[in-house]
Order: sequence, then structure tokens, then C-alpha cells
Amino acid sequence: MIVQNLPPLVSSVFSLLAIASLLLTFVILGSRWLNHYLFAFAAESWLIAGLSVTVGAYGDFPELYLIAVLTVVFRGILLPYLVWRIVRRQLVDYEVHVILRPSSSLVVGAMAVVFALIVAAHVGGHLGLAGTVAILALTVMLSMKLIGFLMLSVRHEAISQVVGLLILENGVFLGAQVLVPGMPMLLEIVILFDLLVAVACFGVLVRYLASTVGTTSSFGLKRLVG
Amino acid sequence: MTRDILLQLSQVLAVVGLSPLLQGIIIQFEERVQRAQGPGIFQPYRDLWKLFHKHLVVPDTASWIYWAAPVVAFTCMLTVPILIPVLTNFPLPLSNMGDILGGGLILTLGSFMVLLAGLDSGGAYGGIGSSRAVMVGILAEPTLILVFIGITLLAKAMLPFVVNHLLVASPAVYFSPAHLFLVAAFFVLLLTETDRLPIHSNTHLEIYMIDEGRILEYSGPLLALLKWASMMKQFILYTIFCNVLLIPWGLSVEGSAAGTFASACALIGKFVLVGCVVVFVETAQSRLRFYRYQEPLAASFLFAVLSIIGTQLSWS
Repeated sequence: MIVQNLPPLVSSVFSLLAIASLLLTFVILGSRWLNHYLFAFAAESWLIAGLSVTVGAYGDFPELYLIAVLTVVFRGILLPYLVWRIVRRQLVDYEVHVILRPSSSLVVGAMAVVFALIVAAHVGGHLGLAGTVAILALTVMLSMKLIGFLMLSVRHEAISQVVGLLILENGVFLGAQVLVPGMPMLLEIVILFDLLVAVACFGVLVRYLASTVGTTSSFGLKRLVG
Repeated sequence: MTRDILLQLSQVLAVVGLSPLLQGIIIQFEERVQRAQGPGIFQPYRDLWKLFHKHLVVPDTASWIYWAAPVVAFTCMLTVPILIPVLTNFPLPLSNMGDILGGGLILTLGSFMVLLAGLDSGGAYGGIGSSRAVMVGILAEPTLILVFIGITLLAKAMLPFVVNHLLVASPAVYFSPAHLFLVAAFFVLLLTETDRLPIHSNTHLEIYMIDEGRILEYSGPLLALLKWASMMKQFILYTIFCNVLLIPWGLSVEGSAAGTFASACALIGKFVLVGCVVVFVETAQSRLRFYRYQEPLAASFLFAVLSIIGTQLSWS
């Protein structure tokens, strides 16, 4: 496994990129403006692309360069643009009803990171990976997943939920880059198109919500309509 | 030995003498960024001079705390520079009498006395200022403690000199997320402690005041002491931020006179850099109403937690 013997500076760069993307996730969690979500998501995807390039350069996986380009094009530009088009057409540009205020959700998110750290330390300890950057990758992956779930559960706007889903998926992708860098190319492409389909479906759903319920908040979906 | 004592004295004198300059530079930058002329970088010196030549007016309700607070605050700020690397990167006499926590304790003692003084004379605005300052302080303190824990876990020591040497010696530690998050968390604390959070207003009205509200009852030389103490506190926090965390280079290694002078100049250079960033943040970020004070502090808390997690991951 590539992560087991890295020079200290490279492992610092790895952890920096990983934690910076975790930080951008927190930017999303701590904001209520839909535009901020998209900028932070795009920046996060660029960072993950940088991570792919670094892993590719140090671990000799040339196909990772192509994956980095795909990541930038799809996750860094195309997906945020598509979601931004949905945002532009809709009436609200920030989260109106929140279950948890942004500052409180930041603290809950910090707790999620601590939980992820404990789980990752246990898993890594059993796999004999203690003290390597793999633990960090696992932590970041798990906490991004948890924060994605948090976004899905505490936000009402349909856009926030798309973004939550995208974060969740970004987390898995980031973890996979570091933990199993030789993941087959085809699988990555399949996941990317999966995401495109998901965003397209959400676009249709949002337009449907806006035209029939009159709002894009899932608050309006409480009533059963025959 | 004599040389070391002289160096230690020059550290304290540098803080006393240069702290109004730092304040002046920041204020001048801010005015210039907002397209005003600005009072010039030496204005704080002139202000202090003017205040020291004024009469003292004491409220009837004041007790001994009113008299003690400025002196205690000023003395605390004279004590902290002994503990931290201001000019030299090696410990000087008495530097080992307190670690980072000790320095934090003395800094907080100064603010605590000013807080009591705000409540002491019974004025309405003093009370408002003190209670607001405590509200912000309650959230800033846990973060400060977490930052200290993070520094301790990073360097395996609680002495600022050790942290400085570690960061200079190893770029891998410098660029590790643990360290960079400590820098970010401390930056928010720096803004909090020097009254530059988005909730702080630069409109000089009693209703908006937070830390200034506490010293409204003071006048003349006592007010000058308090203002000077707060400038010194700002200087000390900037010093810790630059020399211990952000830019650990450019300190005197041998302790020669020329080297010490050069490191004092370098210190001003570093402060100008940090001051630019502070002014940029303050100008670019829009004002928030007071009751959103938790948001920047929650972010800072988060940075500190992330940094501690980073230390646990890198070298466990």
C-alpha cells in the first residue's frame, strides 16, 4: 500500500489537502447561502483533484492524472454549474428554515469528526495502519460522509440536499484516492455519470416541486396530496 | 549573564515602546483602505502624551479597584514579554517561570481586572461593556485552552521557545494540518482579543462598545495606562502569533546588539504583514449584529478541534 512509507513532507501535503477539503465541507455546513455551497463544493473538488495528482505522482499511477482531469471537469465545473442553474431559476437563495443553526451545526459537525477519528483509529489499528496517513484519509472520508448525512437531515431546501449528497460522494471518492489508488478507471467514470444523473433528477424534482407545491423546501412535502 | 539580563530588559522595552507604533500602523492602514487620510502612524504616541498631561477625574462611587485595575493591567502586560520569544529565540533569565498557560493566565488576569473596574463605578455603559466582554470571553476561553492543548501535542512541550525551534527545524511540521489549523484558530482569537471581530464596530458610540465600554469612566493618566496596556496586549498577541506560530524565522540567534536590533525591525515587518491581513478581513467582512458573536468563535473552536485531531493522526 502506498500510504505505508511516505516521506514526511509528502504525507504532510496529503494530510493538508485532505483536511482542507474537510474544512470546505464545514464551510458548507456553516453557511446558509446556496451560492456558498456551490463555491465550496467546487473548491473541494479541485482540492481532491490535486490530491489525485499528488497520489499519482508519488505512487506511480498514471491513470490518476486522467481521473484528476475528469474530477476537475465534472465535479469542479460541470456539476456546480448545473446546480447553479437550478439555483438561479428558483426564488430563494438561502436556507429559510433551519432545524439547527449554522453555529450549532458546526459544533455537531466537530463531534462527528471526533467520532470518525475514533472509528478510523480502531479500523486502522486492526489493519496495522496506525500512525499513517491512511487513518487521516479514513477519518476525513467518514466525517465527510457524516456531515453529508447531517446536511441531508437538518436542511430543508432541495438544493442543500443535493449538495449534501454530493459531499457524501466526494468523501467516498477522496478516501478511495488515498486508500485504494489503483481503483479501476471504469468504476470512477461510472460514478461520475451516476452523479450527473442524480443532479439531473434533482433538477427535475426541484422544478416539479416549484410548480406544484410552490416551494422548493421539503417542508412543503409534509401533507399527503391525492 | 549581564548580557542576557539586558536582552530580557530590551524585550520588555520593545513591547512597551513599539506597541503604540503597531496600533498606529493598523489604524493608519485601515483609514487608507477606507480611502481616508488617516492620523499618521505616530498618533497613539501623541494620544498617550496628551492623556498623561491631563487632570484626573474620579467618580464618587469608585472603590480601590478603580485605582488598582490600570496598574495591575499594565504590570501584567510588562510581565508576559519575559515569558515569550520577542527578540531572541533562546530563553533568557526568568523566561522559565511560566509556560504558555502561565502567560495566558497573566494576560487574562489583566483583562479580568479591567472587567471588574468596568463594573466597579456603577455606570450603565461600564456594566454593558463588562457583560458583553464576558459573553465573548466565555466562548473564546475554551478555544484558547484547546489551542494550547494543540500546541502542546504538536511540540510535546508547553514552552513557546520549543515550538519556535520545532517549526524552524522541520518544514513537515510547519505544513502539517495540525499546525496550520492552530494558526487559523489563533487568528480568530487574535481578532477577538484585539476587538476586530465582525461584531466589533468602529463607530465610536457607547451603544456599540464592547471592550472600550469598560474604561469609559477613566480619564487622564489612568486612562493612558489602560490604553497603553491594551496596545501592549495587542502587541504581545501579535508577537505570539508571529514568533511562535506563523513566522518563526527572523529572531536573534546569538543575542548580539545588531542581531537584536535587526530582529526588532523584522518583528515590525511581520506585524505589518499580519496587520494587512487583519485590516483586509475587517474591511471585507460586513458587520454582524452582536448576537451573532458565536459564529466566528464556533469556527475557531472547530479549527482547534481539527488541529488536535491532526496532531493525533500524524505522529501517533
